[in-house]
Amino acid sequence: MNLYNIIFTGSEQALAAAKGMLAEAIEKNGRDHKVAFPDTAYSLPCIYAATGQKMNTLGDLEGALTVVESLINRTHLLEHALNSGLATALAAEVIEAIKYATMEEPYQAPCAGHVSDPIIRSLGVPLVTGDIPGVAVVLGECPDAETAAKVIKDYQSKGLLTFLVGKVIDQAIEAGVKMSVELRVIPLGYDVTSVIHVVSVAIRAALIFGGLTPGDLSGLLEYTSKRVPAFVNAFGPLSELVVSAGAGAIALGFPVITDQTVLEVPMNLLTQKDYDKVVATSLEARNIKIKITEIPIPVAFAAAFEGERIRKAD
Amino acid sequence: MDKKMMTIDLNSHVLLDKAEKDGVETMYDRKQGFKSQCGFGLQGNCCRICGMGPCRITPKTPRGICGADEHVIVGRNFARMVAGGTAAHSDHARDIAHTMALSSRDGNYKIRDEEKLIILAKEWDVETEGRDIYDIAHEVADVALMEFGKPHGVARFLKNAPEPRQKIWKDLGIEPRAIDREIATIMHSTHIGCTGDIDSLIHMSLRTALADGWVGSMIGTRFSDILFGTPTVRETEANLGVLEDNKVNIILHGHEPSLSEMIVLASEDPELVALAKEMGADGINLAGMCCTGNEVTMRHGVKTAGDFHQQELAIVTGAVEAMIVDVQCIFPALAKVADCYHTKFITTSPKAKIAGSTYMEFSEETAYADGYKIVKEAVLNFKNRDKEKVLIPELKSKATVGYSADAILGQLDRVVNSHIDPAGTLKPLADCLKSGVLRGAVGVVGCNNAKGVSNLAHVTIMKELIKNDILVVTTGCGASAAAKFGLMTKEARKLAGKGLATVCDLVDIPPVLHLGSCVDCSRILDVVGGTAKLLDMDMSDLPVAGVAPEWMSEKAVAIGSYVVASGIDTYLGVMPPVTGSSRAVEILCGELQDMVGAKFTVNENPQELAQIIIQDIEKKRVHFENLVEERMNEKVEAGAEA
Ligand code: SF4
Ligand code: SF4
Repeated sequence: MNLYNIIFTGSEQALAAAKGMLAEAIEKNGRDHKVAFPDTAYSLPCIYAATGQKMNTLGDLEGALTVVESLINRTHLLEHALNSGLATALAAEVIEAIKYATMEEPYQAPCAGHVSDPIIRSLGVPLVTGDIPGVAVVLGECPDAETAAKVIKDYQSKGLLTFLVGKVIDQAIEAGVKMSVELRVIPLGYDVTSVIHVVSVAIRAALIFGGLTPGDLSGLLEYTSKRVPAFVNAFGPLSELVVSAGAGAIALGFPVITDQTVLEVPMNLLTQKDYDKVVATSLEARNIKIKITEIPIPVAFAAAFEGERIRKAD
Repeated sequence: MDKKMMTIDLNSHVLLDKAEKDGVETMYDRKQGFKSQCGFGLQGNCCRICGMGPCRITPKTPRGICGADEHVIVGRNFARMVAGGTAAHSDHARDIAHTMALSSRDGNYKIRDEEKLIILAKEWDVETEGRDIYDIAHEVADVALMEFGKPHGVARFLKNAPEPRQKIWKDLGIEPRAIDREIATIMHSTHIGCTGDIDSLIHMSLRTALADGWVGSMIGTRFSDILFGTPTVRETEANLGVLEDNKVNIILHGHEPSLSEMIVLASEDPELVALAKEMGADGINLAGMCCTGNEVTMRHGVKTAGDFHQQELAIVTGAVEAMIVDVQCIFPALAKVADCYHTKFITTSPKAKIAGSTYMEFSEETAYADGYKIVKEAVLNFKNRDKEKVLIPELKSKATVGYSADAILGQLDRVVNSHIDPAGTLKPLADCLKSGVLRGAVGVVGCNNAKGVSNLAHVTIMKELIKNDILVVTTGCGASAAAKFGLMTKEARKLAGKGLATVCDLVDIPPVLHLGSCVDCSRILDVVGGTAKLLDMDMSDLPVAGVAPEWMSEKAVAIGSYVVASGIDTYLGVMPPVTGSSRAVEILCGELQDMVGAKFTVNENPQELAQIIIQDIEKKRVHFENLVEERMNEKVEAGAEA
């Protein structure tokens, strides 16, 4: 299938899933049931930033889905493909918001789920100073745990902030990768839709540090593509939904590097099958230059380890 | 009709008023003079090939005296147009090849792009190891000159085409042999009492046209690059506003760079610049017109004064000291227009003498001395300028030009991830086409035609295409139109769709790329052929097209025919004289599809034509994307086996 059709199909799937979940949630809890993510002043940050509207109830989310629907136009032009990617992102946020509105504890350790405003504020300064030179979103499943660990630790040693989504979380744990905000490795969740929580980080960074007006979508996209040095590594077979979410990343200016054979788009969607080169490929694609020279000592050494307490057993 | 309705160029409007005031007749007046053109000629079924004629086909006289029917007559006329166009391009190329044979280390003509010469020498099995570059050049020139009349074999460049394309040519028997031979064969076969079969005439036309695109024009372009330098990206300006008030304005018009290169050099000669100052001018201002203008703007950034339809109007400004011309597309009317002003109309080529002009022969053997003399003549003429009669219109546009295939590769390297791909390939372009970020690429080429409104079709079609994420490459007077209307600036990205605009941003190019002169349409063949080879496809598989919105010359007919024969669908904005034969239309606009995988489509409404091209590209994409998927699966399977 052609790339654009894959994207459109993924978006339609995301929309359908969100609609179904919402209808069910409304039936159980009523339209006035409250919707919110914990510890944020930005309501549903992606929807708020894109539309300027705060979502307070399940009923409000119906309006949000109308916006999502309006972003899907199957005309084969990049503009529509990117909008469709954004639609997927917004649909994912609706799905995640319903989880938070209706479930007791939607995310449990090791998964972080939604990232709170205070954490974003704490990450803001090192991001601005380049102390955190980039944000890696590692998604899917690597061929084995070692490969996953190698890639993640490489980012860690270079001081990048890495978010994990999907099976790669288990692989990282299996290979003994240590994870925490301080260590700059944050597992988000197992569902693809949980990737929205890192998008939400990028978008709140734009709102908080870029002083952008909610609703100024083009300003927002310009800010993220120019100022938020994020990129995505998508490993393993790619579903339509993942490709479609990838288009959302590209719309925000974040290149996607995958180990799968895809229709490549220069600088934006790249295939790198050599796992030893994934990191270098990704950094070049996002034009990230590492400030700190790597120190050739056996233990990965970088700012990411500043927060690590050396336990006696180690 | 109001003359101003005949061109959308605002400078032209101003000068048409002035021409009227000055009592000067222009092309636009003459066009109005021809209230209605002869229907027989328009349909192509008038024949004057022998002394029994002229014959014309009507319901009452369905055959000429010899018995030729409308199909034969239309076919012969069409074939002769192709031969005329091929002859023009090829004689141009022949001169360049001769110039290369004359090149020497301390002569007027040097080898500028040694690398390109070596590549060509290797392609042609000319020994390069340990040899002097000029010895190589001379031998390569001789090989090229043989391409015009070699007794055996087929054209050498054909093997550069994708293999499936070569096979189609071979199977159809349209591999061109020697250029001059193909032209002569057409003249022979169209003689009275020779070929009496339109299928055969069109078949022959394709072979001859291929001798243009894949031989003559290709030699012209490659050799010009080797001798004068391969174009690189540079800034320039276009339209008549580039003429300057207090400088000696020289317009270079015509086609062959052997002359124009020397004029460029001479116009920078300190002695001549000093002389210009003595004459009271601030210096010498050189500007180009038509394809010679394209050649010097690509290589030196010389400003473009205007296109085919502006040649008379340039003189009407009263600010042109000399209009220096060589061959092709030069209105004989210029002699009369120049008479009304102080302008010297200087013809230089024994192949194109024009009554009423100042003839100053230019010869490659004495190139610089000749160029010097000609420019001096222009400079000395400054004193005769009548300030009262000067009106330089103010409009001009900035343009970024110089996109040779090599320069395009250079730009594409900007988006190559060094950990994935090597530099110097067309892969980024192929990727953009495969993924659909670019829907396609279209070459917008050709002339201006008095049948339509000057520049309207070019500009309308280019704008529509880029808006729909289709990259436009252009040559000839199409390129001049794009430059004049600001489509070659990087800011023109905002007129492009998001996909094309993104590509332009990343690759740092304007949405419309200037590839050069008419012979440089061969660069388009190089890029399309290269992309097809990279994708393991034929040229006819790619979502690309060619369009000549305002074509007029026989050269354009030859170009259109070789583009189709190369597997690229070709769209015309002016109906060629073939409608007199239903069979001709059937073949050209239909059956060619089965033969060469492409055909002609004609529509005289530019807005409609643009929509047709866009729809056809989308249709083509379905086929293209299926092939892409097939190739990808093959690769995955091969990978799994490995
Ligand atoms: S060639 Fe035949 S059709 Fe043509 S002018 Fe002669 S007699 Fe008439
Ligand atoms: S584009 Fe046409 S008018 Fe212009 S120089 Fe070429 S052949 Fe002549």
